[in-house]
Amino acid sequence: MHTPADPSGAGSFCRRTRRELFWEAGASFTGLALAGLLDQPFFARQTRAADGVAAFANPLAAKPPHFAPKAKSVIFLFMYGGPSQVDTFDYKPKLYGLDGQTIEVKTKGRGGEKNQGRVVGPKWKFKQYGACGKWVSDLFPHLSNHVDDIAFLHSMTADSPIHGSAMLQMNSGKIQSGAPCLGSWANYGLGSVNENLPGFVVMLDPTGGPISGAKNWSSGYMPATYQGTLLRSKGAPILDLAPPDDMSLESQRVMLDALREANTAHLLPRGDNTELAARIASYELAWKMQEHAPEAVDLTRETEETKQLYGIENPRTADFGRRCLLARRLVERGVRFVQLYSGGAHNDDNWDAHGDLEKNHNFHAGNTDQPIAALLTDLKRTGLLESTLVVWGGEFGRQPTAEYAAGTGRDHNAYGFTMWMAGGGIKGGVSVGETDELGAAAIAPVHDGRTGFHVKSLHATILHQLGLDPNRLSYFFGGLDQKLVGVEHVEPIREILA
Amino acid sequence: MLKESLRPATAPARLGWTARLAAIVGGVACVIGLPLQAAPVDFSREIQPLLARKCFACHGPDKQEGGLRLDQSASALAELESGGRGIVAGDKEASLILERITATDPDIRMPPEGPRLTPAQVDALGHWIEEGAAWQEHWAFRPLLRPAVPAVENAPHPIDAFIRAGLARRGLPIPQPADKTALLRRATYDLTGLPPTQAELKDFLADESPQAFEKVVDRLLASPHYGEQWARHWLDLVRYADTNSFERDGAKPHAWRYRDYLIRSFNADKPFDQLTIEQIAGDELPEPSNDALIATGYYRLGVWDDEPADRAQFRYDWLDDIVATTGQTFLGLTVNCARCHDHKIDPIPQRDYYSMLSFFQNIVQGPSVERPIFASAEVRAEHDARVEDRQRRIDAAQQAVTAIETAFLAARDNPAAAPTESSDLDDLAFRFYRDTWTKLPDFDSLKAEDVGPVASQHFNITVAPSLRPDAFGYVFTGFLKVPADGDYTFTLDSDDGSRLSIDGKTVVEYDGIHGIGQPKTATVSLKAGRLPIRLDYFQWEHRKGLSVAWTGPGFENRPLSTGKKKGEQATKLAEAIAAEGEKILGADGKRDYDAKVAALEALKKETVPVEVASVVTEQGAQAPETFVLYRGNPHAETKPENRVEPAFPGILKAKQPVIPTPAPGATSTGRRTALAQWLVSPENQLTPRVLANRIWQYHFGRGIARSSSNFGMMGDPPTHPELLDWLATELISGGWHLKPLHRQIMLSQAYQAASTGDATASASDPLNDSFWRFDMRRLAAEEIRDAIHVASGDFNPKMEGPGVFVDIPKEVLAGQSVPGSGWGSSPAEEQARRSVYIHVKRSLITPILADFDLADTDTTCPVRFTTTQPTQALGMMNGAFLHKQARAFAARVKREVGGVDADNTQAEVRRALEIALTRQVSAEEVARGVALVDTLENADGVGPTRSLELFCLMVLNLNEFIYLD
Repeated sequence: MHTPADPSGAGSFCRRTRRELFWEAGASFTGLALAGLLDQPFFARQTRAADGVAAFANPLAAKPPHFAPKAKSVIFLFMYGGPSQVDTFDYKPKLYGLDGQTIEVKTKGRGGEKNQGRVVGPKWKFKQYGACGKWVSDLFPHLSNHVDDIAFLHSMTADSPIHGSAMLQMNSGKIQSGAPCLGSWANYGLGSVNENLPGFVVMLDPTGGPISGAKNWSSGYMPATYQGTLLRSKGAPILDLAPPDDMSLESQRVMLDALREANTAHLLPRGDNTELAARIASYELAWKMQEHAPEAVDLTRETEETKQLYGIENPRTADFGRRCLLARRLVERGVRFVQLYSGGAHNDDNWDAHGDLEKNHNFHAGNTDQPIAALLTDLKRTGLLESTLVVWGGEFGRQPTAEYAAGTGRDHNAYGFTMWMAGGGIKGGVSVGETDELGAAAIAPVHDGRTGFHVKSLHATILHQLGLDPNRLSYFFGGLDQKLVGVEHVEPIREILA
Repeated sequence: MLKESLRPATAPARLGWTARLAAIVGGVACVIGLPLQAAPVDFSREIQPLLARKCFACHGPDKQEGGLRLDQSASALAELESGGRGIVAGDKEASLILERITATDPDIRMPPEGPRLTPAQVDALGHWIEEGAAWQEHWAFRPLLRPAVPAVENAPHPIDAFIRAGLARRGLPIPQPADKTALLRRATYDLTGLPPTQAELKDFLADESPQAFEKVVDRLLASPHYGEQWARHWLDLVRYADTNSFERDGAKPHAWRYRDYLIRSFNADKPFDQLTIEQIAGDELPEPSNDALIATGYYRLGVWDDEPADRAQFRYDWLDDIVATTGQTFLGLTVNCARCHDHKIDPIPQRDYYSMLSFFQNIVQGPSVERPIFASAEVRAEHDARVEDRQRRIDAAQQAVTAIETAFLAARDNPAAAPTESSDLDDLAFRFYRDTWTKLPDFDSLKAEDVGPVASQHFNITVAPSLRPDAFGYVFTGFLKVPADGDYTFTLDSDDGSRLSIDGKTVVEYDGIHGIGQPKTATVSLKAGRLPIRLDYFQWEHRKGLSVAWTGPGFENRPLSTGKKKGEQATKLAEAIAAEGEKILGADGKRDYDAKVAALEALKKETVPVEVASVVTEQGAQAPETFVLYRGNPHAETKPENRVEPAFPGILKAKQPVIPTPAPGATSTGRRTALAQWLVSPENQLTPRVLANRIWQYHFGRGIARSSSNFGMMGDPPTHPELLDWLATELISGGWHLKPLHRQIMLSQAYQAASTGDATASASDPLNDSFWRFDMRRLAAEEIRDAIHVASGDFNPKMEGPGVFVDIPKEVLAGQSVPGSGWGSSPAEEQARRSVYIHVKRSLITPILADFDLADTDTTCPVRFTTTQPTQALGMMNGAFLHKQARAFAARVKREVGGVDADNTQAEVRRALEIALTRQVSAEEVARGVALVDTLENADGVGPTRSLELFCLMVLNLNEFIYLD
């Protein structure tokens, strides 16, 4: 299939860099020993820290991409639970008239596989917006003004219509747990340019985490260096970032100085062990994080106009607005990957509208519409949108038919759903991919030999915009060159690239 | 030697990596003056890994681009499609591969992707070709033979003879011994995962006999903490956890028994061949012991999706997890790489993968299959007798109640109508499932959405509160009240499939998709009494229904299911007796009835306690067929020519398994026994090598072959292959006992060497390939946490038992979809137990353990990471756990130096350092500590107690506290 000269495929298997070899063989040799094993770029990172003593080989130090990136950061707005495509962005005029009728349609959700069902017509009106004339439902009065900056993917598909495994796939590419998440891959591939902040930040909904909790920001078989860090919009933003009440910063500094002195004495006869030096430096880095991370999340530094833009004054939008504004502040400071959850916990605390569709989607769209629109506005006016890739969507979509005998609730649907992207080198005002006239399943285009855009294609597009070749970015584990997108070659969705 | 004479005089000869690199960078002339020890290129270490990593993906076992195949001699030397030859032995000019790897044109240069070969690699390849391009069988696949111990002066210990021969080859000096304090700390953590005590240090320092260290090793090997530490290594390999992962991440309630089994086995020095057989096939041993059964919990430790989107896919993902874990853990082979196609690098065809998988094909899948375990035959007999006795008493009580009820109904109504009001079922409970089936699934392996009692005591498919219109299933279990010995006919009708079983045997099977109206019947002979009854039912879509009835001596067609309009019959009977009982039965009769009902209910609540373990079971003596699946797709067509039988990987040239026909009544195939016996048989050269290498790794921080779960061509070749083989044969001749091997390794001077640096050695061997010193190591996550508990004095050495729940900050719990779900709270003294006893919840790992690189729980982990990052520092400086322990540590120090007298600062500081570091502390260190306490107290206005606490916190943060020399 591949000729040896074909760079995209020939070497797409079972190769590993010396760095990965090192990780698998065990990272427990001393830093100096490492130096002999690793490729040249590693030496370049062995720079002295400011104090001139400690060499801190920051495993998250920025690394060059495979090619010139379009995006430096990603903000993934995760609509957990699965928003309904036919009620949001995938306009299906025929569906209104079918409301209440039982029709033949193949579906698969938590209620199993069915061949027919009662149509629930879209519960919101659609109107056209922007120069591109995009149809958007009344759920998004603010966001609809940004359609000319957005590329809609209408034929997304996933392998599972069940929350647990579908969440894992949207975040890690695999329906089984144990694989690193998208944010881990981004940081593994590129590192982070701000060593005072984590490179992969996750902000949860106030109602709780998603199903499977920490598995959704796990670094799986990669080192913990690449795992996501939970950041809170209130209180201490990061676990253990602030000293407890009974330890003042002054006392802490005195303690840290004594610690450094003792550690330096311990290092003296063991000077060739750079791990010891790295640990000394890591305490200074932690001290700096203590100082800088609170600044990054300090919204008092924002103008009233900005806060109003995000809806922070309004109780409905305050929480998601605050988190969207934080996301902007984080990418401004070089955080590589920021993920925000709209919705948490179970049932109607997220977009999982099994019961009353109208109530559920009005609630969640109402909480997020203005903040997301504000985020796009704010990123654009600060020039950050060019280098920030914004991704919107859930782990799957919903069915055009009802789940139960009565009511408007829709079951899960992984056969076809909508996601969108904006910024970071994505074309605005375009819609690609199609579902059938009911919005039940993807019918076009054929991408990588299958109908619609699989989650892998989305992941490939995100990596590609970050300057990483999705078919090349690999990590050797369990005898295989593991990739986020799997072993088969995956193309980015080029139709939406600017 | 002849080969060496072929080498050009100017070649940078067999120097260390760095020297060679320097030689290339600085020009060939600079080799002069460095120790020259000409040696032929080592194919195993220098050429094969290079070819494997850079070339095999396109020119290896799976693919041969341009006709070139480089993993074996004949094909590599053969003429290519182009007419040239990839390799011409002895002639590097004519060898096309050299031309291609050095080409400047990127369209021609090999490899086409990734970094090009370094000059050193090109150079090595060139020399190897010049020297005759000889292939050697891959080191790990060669037969295991006992190598001769090299004759080396002053090396009484065989291990040192091997190590020193290597050092001599590289011109490196023999390392100095470690000082006794460092050695004691190293050995104690190594064998027990805990620090030595002050008293142990004192004893060791005082013992000047040559056997002093030997005595320490023997003492440590006898410590029960040895089993805890070494079992933990094995738990990493078998991806141990106490929960299933996925949406519910539900508990595996008996996984801890497997953990305890390992701890017991290591402490008892159970031979590893036995340990292997027990884990793989303990259930198939004749008269298996409890431990042999518990050991098979091995198969239940992995992740389990109770709601898979694609059942067939999940079935094979589950099997793949077993194949991957078994292949890598026991064989050091990544057999799993051949799931979708032939292995790209190692000679493992896809067929071998499925042959391996077929050993496990017949296993009943599930997150936990339980089986009672008994301490002894007497306990079992006593238990059985109690169960029987309970059943007898219930039967008698039931008969007494039924007799009164029958009399009541007979007296009240006309007899024909009476029975419809009562129920012949009892203790009926339902389990409700949701999914789409076209045939009855194995409900026992699925997660029920709802469970509960059925008050009506009739099969009722509308009983579940979360009922849905379609795509659901039920299992009803309860007891059938059989009035007398005799033949009974059961009628079953359903839409869609159903199955009625009594006493564990299927009575009527009516599976598949169908409508109602054509009932199935069957007649069976039953004994009087309460017999277990079970009904499985599923509804696909459209209409649904269930109708069950029975006919027996003296009655006809009594319904067992809820009729269309009949509701809660049993309740009605109870109501009727409550209302009219006194009238019909008389006051005494009614009282008697009530008492009998109460007695019956009380009896039913009586349980016979029994311990259970999660074990492996098979579906019977006959395994389903296994096929090679095209591209690993579980839905692929199964062609007869793709059918495979259990077989060992062909590359190992083992005899193929002969699996005896299972005896009549056997409940498993015996396939796993065949696998287990082969794993530890003399025919298998891999398992002893893999195990000996792991033992070495856990002692020295790295394996002799560093990639300890990958002995294939992509793995790292051993730095001391003869030593590895010697250790492997030593393991076998020692009867697979680990303790003698530990002893032997630890008594070598290599183990007792200092960790001190040496600029020259470090320049010529930066990776310490030759063991010119003992590598320092950071403590593992559990060791750090345990050491903190030991220092603070609250350490609880209690062993074994169900997992412990430690406090987890609410910020971390907030990441769960239901904060706190599946996590308990153990009393403080339980929380101070060793980390190996902490409940391992896959989606909620204890923060301090996660921070310090606990093994990932979802895949087999041969080597842990050692990361250094600021989040660790944050937790150690600011975290609630550390602050709590620092307070306890300070209180302990105060206590031990004689109370809260403020003048004791010096003694307190000294005591704290001695406890944490287990060494003698210098006056200068004490002075520095006192200065810190004073500064905190005076400059920062912190009280004396608090200042000592902060000092103790600082001590727990010391590099020396978590690093070993």
